[in-house]
Amino acid sequence: MSIADNPFFVLGLSPDASRIEIEREAQKLLGMLELDFADARSYQSPLGPRPRTPEAVRAAVAALRDPYRRLVAELWARHAPPAQPAAPPEPPRAPGYPGLRRRLGWRP
Amino acid sequence: MYALPYLVLIKLHQLAINARRRDRTWRYVAWSTMAALCAVLMMVLGAAFCWLMWRLGVWWLTLVAGVLLVLPLVAAPVARHVLVPLGRVKLAYWAGVASRPGTDAPALGFCFAAWAWSCRPTPSAEAWLARRRDARRPLGDAEVVVTALLLAGRGDADGARKLMRSVAMIVEVHPSVRELVGEWLAADAAERGAWRELYDDAIAARWPATPLTYLLEGIAARRLEAAGAPGRYELVARWLLAPYRRATRTLLRVPVAAPARPPEPAAAPAELPALDHLPRAVAAHLDLTTRRASAPALADTVRAWDAALADAGTHAWLSRRALELDAPLGAVDRALRDIATAVTDELARAAEAAQLAAPAALLGAVGTPLARRLRHGRLDSLESAFTRWAGRRRAGERYPSIDEWREFVALQAAYEAACSAGGDELRRLAFPHAFSTGSNMAAWLWNEHKEYALSHAISRWLLDEARAVGDTEAIELGHRNCSLTIHTRLGKVLPD
Repeated sequence: MSIADNPFFVLGLSPDASRIEIEREAQKLLGMLELDFADARSYQSPLGPRPRTPEAVRAAVAALRDPYRRLVAELWARHAPPAQPAAPPEPPRAPGYPGLRRRLGWRP
Repeated sequence: MYALPYLVLIKLHQLAINARRRDRTWRYVAWSTMAALCAVLMMVLGAAFCWLMWRLGVWWLTLVAGVLLVLPLVAAPVARHVLVPLGRVKLAYWAGVASRPGTDAPALGFCFAAWAWSCRPTPSAEAWLARRRDARRPLGDAEVVVTALLLAGRGDADGARKLMRSVAMIVEVHPSVRELVGEWLAADAAERGAWRELYDDAIAARWPATPLTYLLEGIAARRLEAAGAPGRYELVARWLLAPYRRATRTLLRVPVAAPARPPEPAAAPAELPALDHLPRAVAAHLDLTTRRASAPALADTVRAWDAALADAGTHAWLSRRALELDAPLGAVDRALRDIATAVTDELARAAEAAQLAAPAALLGAVGTPLARRLRHGRLDSLESAFTRWAGRRRAGERYPSIDEWREFVALQAAYEAACSAGGDELRRLAFPHAFSTGSNMAAWLWNEHKEYALSHAISRWLLDEARAVGDTEAIELGHRNCSLTIHTRLGKVLPD
């Protein structure tokens, strides 16, 4: 199981959420996705923002309805570090000398 | 009148070139200057003789003298600076042959031809090159270099680099071909900014250096601030000696390295309270799987997971939550097992991607299966690759020489990668199968296909591996195999 796909992160809920809160949040998110709300199209995870789809929301609710799968999901979600905002793009690595080989007579 | 000084100059020129190939000190510049002076004098003498014959009206002797005295001196520079950039494959080949580089002149000719092809690739020239290369048997260093240059021409620089490096295992040594290999690798390393790799090659003197290689090696040493790096004036002398001065001028400006900061003392791992094991494991896991994994990070993550999954606090928390959630009986043990499996899977993937060994002496819920998974996965893939190799021999299915070589190089690379990741333990486990398969293959190639250099390279590698694992029987057999005289185009080679 990837931590980025953890049902609690997909639904944007804390691991303490009750069953009613989970169902309500899932219905709300499915409605928002149906209406193509920008806020609903992604969620925060410890690995950065991820796209949220209706299938992912339904899978998350199904997972949290199962006590055993919820137990495992809680273990990861409860102990994961806080969700990360999108990481800034890494600065380009200092390249050598692109095209040098060609300039030294060796092509390409 | 002309013959004696000309013959002396030929001898001196050859001596200077040979001395330069062996040297990487300040004398390199002196030998190069001497070789250049000899070449100029030979040109002057040759041209004067041609002119004299022309004045005497013996025009046919002018032509003969030109071909014999002047052409060998100008053929290689003309090939390099004119025919190769123009992509004139066959002319470059004949220029290489005419430059009289030694006993086996076509070897250099083919390399020039492949180099010219890489500048202007055409299907017909590639087919011509491949046909002529495959006709040259047994396999030698020139055929491997031709193939590497063909790969480079197709844009596969990684493949070309591996093949170029594999030339070091071949006992047939054409010095002029090796110079080209060294220069290609040096230019490639400089383009990638791999100055350490270039410097290591220079220190090991793996390839005879052309003036351009020698310059790039000096630049690498200066950039790494290595001991014995050339001073500014020596570097300028190397630069003046090398071709493509306009392209290399920018490289002379060595960036001033920032003063190295003393490394901060590593914080001693704090003894975390039991309840902190799980957050620490999850944080380490995320850190490892999202960045490029390193051996210390992997060991730290495995240690954290082993501690977290064995921790009584984790068990208590899971038991309490299982009760609250009304989870089925046995859910706690199953959850611990599933988490250990998922974590092991992800860590194994990260370790495989970064070619890391399993951390030693970590025998917990994650450490043990991870070590087993990594070792077995690598051994299985190695064994199946060597088994395919053996199966081909049993079926008598022979590839063209160059493809046999490429398969061996690929297998060797896979073996080395697996052993460097799996450590000595995996090396000892993998060696017997590799040895039996490789020895049979080497014998088959030697006895039935007369591929002496190829067979010797396999035997040599197996002998080195046998020494690494301390297998005395294999060492003895390896010594016997490696002591056989190898027939090459340049004559018989007696191994060390």
